Amino acid sequence: MPLTSELITLDKAAIVAFASQFDPQPYHLDKEAAEQSIFGGLCASGWHIAALATRLVSETLIKNGLPFVELLSVGHLKWTRPTFVDEQISVRITLTDTQDESPIADTYVQALNVDVCNGDGDVVATMSATAAIAQDSATGETA
Amino acid sequence: MTTLYLRDRWFEDLPAGEFHVFGSHTFSELEIVEFAETFDPRPQSTNPEAARHNHRQGLIASPWFVTAMWMRKMVDYMEVYAQGVNDGRRNGAGVAITDLQWLEPVRPGHTLTYTYEIIDKPDRVIREKWGLIRSRNEAFNQYGNKVMQFEIDILAERRPT
Repeated sequence: MPLTSELITLDKAAIVAFASQFDPQPYHLDKEAAEQSIFGGLCASGWHIAALATRLVSETLIKNGLPFVELLSVGHLKWTRPTFVDEQISVRITLTDTQDESPIADTYVQALNVDVCNGDGDVVATMSATAAIAQDSATGETA
Repeated sequence: MTTLYLRDRWFEDLPAGEFHVFGSHTFSELEIVEFAETFDPRPQSTNPEAARHNHRQGLIASPWFVTAMWMRKMVDYMEVYAQGVNDGRRNGAGVAITDLQWLEPVRPGHTLTYTYEIIDKPDRVIREKWGLIRSRNEAFNQYGNKVMQFEIDILAERRPT
């Protein structure tokens, strides 16, 4: 059974705030320019989606008793559909392999597949990744 | 013979093997914390005090901050040196990435230099007018250690026939 996260809404202010700092291209900043672009409308940077998806993955794993420590690698990440202003995203996580040997002490490596979906359930991105998970919950959350 | 300027090129003009250094960025403690608070609120990136005692023994940048800065460096660089012409050839979106690895932590004061190399031009035509440019991208810290790598496919507009 995949684990499912909460939804996050991406409003225009959030999309433009991320893009002006990290991905200042017209289709992420300006409504009119975006309508003329390959996307056909103002949409979030793919890196914004990736960061928020990871946030949702970490929150969802922790909530399900897997003390997420750090994202280690992404085998593939494919953006399949733009995320437009005021659309929502959530993640569906399928856990795959585990590996005892981890670059971070007291953790193991969990492989996972992630579908990032919009509010209608359409997949907007897919990602395969590995994350370090604390072997006991004491080392996961130190803050 | 026509001179091809970096700023005025189509998909066909971009050769495999081309290499660029996009530039460098020094990561401050404040921006590491601000990025993490908004996008990736892990304690090792949001709380310098608590991070001293955690698995990394000090504050580290969110991995996506390290990668998002690659995007910013690329956009700035392309604006000045490469595609840059406002006729549609710029703004070819990224389609997919593979083999993204964060190899070493990035800490406050670390300076990363981002590099880009075209490694392949897959033989595909997308929505009639785009080709795919596959690049290998790396970031090196001030010690010369590689801290991040990935490959990405980005659309580039084909020369109109």
